[in-house]
Amino acid sequence: MMLHRLIAAIFFIALMLVSVTTINAQSVRPPGNAVNQSTDEQIGTSNTLGPDSQSKYWHDLRQGKSGLSTTGRSGGLLIQAQGEQWRLIRKNYIIKYSGWVLAAVLVILVLFFLIRGKIRLKGGRSGQTISRFSLPHRTAHWFMASIFIMLGLSGLILLLGRTALAPLIGKNVYSIFASAAMQGHNLFGPLFIVALVWMYYLFVPGNFFKMVDLKWILKGGGLIGGHASAGHYNFGEKVWFWAVAIVGLLISITGIILEFPWLSANLQLLQISTIVHAIGAVGLIAFALGHIYIGTIGMEGALDSMTTGDVDVNWAKEHHDLWYEEVTGEKSATHDQGETGHAQVYSQDKITGV
Amino acid sequence: MSFLQIVEGPLFYIAAAIFLIGAIWRVIGIIKIGHKRDLAPPKGSGKVGFVAGNLRHFLPRKIFAKRTWVHIIAGYSFHFGLFALLLFAAPHIDFARDRILGFDWPALPRWGFIIAAQFAFAGLIMLWVRRFSDPVMRLISDWDDHIGSWLTFLVMLTGCLALQESHNALKAIHMLFVDVWLIYFPFSRLMHAGTFFLSRGYTGATYGRKGMTL
Repeated sequence: MMLHRLIAAIFFIALMLVSVTTINAQSVRPPGNAVNQSTDEQIGTSNTLGPDSQSKYWHDLRQGKSGLSTTGRSGGLLIQAQGEQWRLIRKNYIIKYSGWVLAAVLVILVLFFLIRGKIRLKGGRSGQTISRFSLPHRTAHWFMASIFIMLGLSGLILLLGRTALAPLIGKNVYSIFASAAMQGHNLFGPLFIVALVWMYYLFVPGNFFKMVDLKWILKGGGLIGGHASAGHYNFGEKVWFWAVAIVGLLISITGIILEFPWLSANLQLLQISTIVHAIGAVGLIAFALGHIYIGTIGMEGALDSMTTGDVDVNWAKEHHDLWYEEVTGEKSATHDQGETGHAQVYSQDKITGV
Repeated sequence: MSFLQIVEGPLFYIAAAIFLIGAIWRVIGIIKIGHKRDLAPPKGSGKVGFVAGNLRHFLPRKIFAKRTWVHIIAGYSFHFGLFALLLFAAPHIDFARDRILGFDWPALPRWGFIIAAQFAFAGLIMLWVRRFSDPVMRLISDWDDHIGSWLTFLVMLTGCLALQESHNALKAIHMLFVDVWLIYFPFSRLMHAGTFFLSRGYTGATYGRKGMTL
């Protein structure tokens, strides 16, 4: 009995092995009567999409057809086609030209310094000084300057680092810089807004444009056509002030949108913000390079106004003659014909070292 | 042993020991100086004056408020921000628990850390700017003041730059500056953090004995 069962089992297993071998041998060879399907039927309409074509499917997605995705803040939007445009604008224009703009400004400043040299006081230092900026003015200025430098450096690392830094220092080291720059940028960003409001409040008096500014422009700020009269601020300083105020406001608003992206569900707003933020910041940095140049190595005596708060009397007469007259009531030798200072006249005690 | 392990291990413990021993040595030195015995009969309490002198200096004098509001705001902003960061930043609490104390306490949320850091940075920058902008401050400041300000700034900055906690290199740089700061502390004017109450108290006690209202 046992022997019969054993023989039956062996026979059954052998039959199964033969069957499997036969099936496998058949599966890799098409049967003789097999017909190839046409290629057209495999592309386009598929079984999973029913009557819709794939091109129509992707077209609908690009147009933001709703109902295709249901999760996340942009529910219903699987592909945001403007993202590709944003990426190309950022890559092909902003990143590409930002570095060149800043490099060009640096080259211009170096050339200007080599050709023009330091603008020296014609009459030399008088030894007498006149108060130009109060302590709160100077504190606000340097507070803004400190924040601006840290934001500028960290921002440039984030914007240009992958293109300019990573090939030099390697991707791993750059990732450390990028992480640090991102944290620093997000941390100091809100302080820029505080500095901006403080600066605006303190510096806005005297920064409104007047007729004397037109004459200053026509004389190229004194570079062409002789001495250009100016009040407390000349035209260049006023333009810088309003550039900081207006572009700074734009950067602040876009910065808030970028730092707190959950404030808006509009992805396009975030993309536009990155572009405006970058263009505005690069513009301000370029302008700031000129401001730093003229405030330090470009002009003798200019830095004193922001360190001690006092400027040499001859500096005041040569560069801000109308302001000098306002403060002292004394007519300066460099005074333009037809220009007068304001009626408010101070006494000689505004000058120290007399 | 990696650089990070060195700066948060042996170097940190050496720096902390120098900090502690140096600070205690400085405070004991100041206390041992003592003061000349006042032979005049007291008109008030020196002890009350000591406490009053300490508390009164936390408030600005009305007649100077207009001139000093910037650095008073900056001073409070910096010190409160710094202490909030030092004592309630989550990574600091973890470090203290794991390496020094063995227990922890509630930490600031991330947004709280950011705000505290912003107050601290804003205050420190304004105080440093005042140091070279104010003619009087410029005259009485020397290299020690500037080094102290810059070291503190770098400790704070490197700490905040490492906030993502994604790179050991950033943490190591922060710890290196912490170690340098700890070693520099007892031998510099940073020691005012541990001695200000003695100087304020001494003045207050002197006035208190003379019966002067602070």
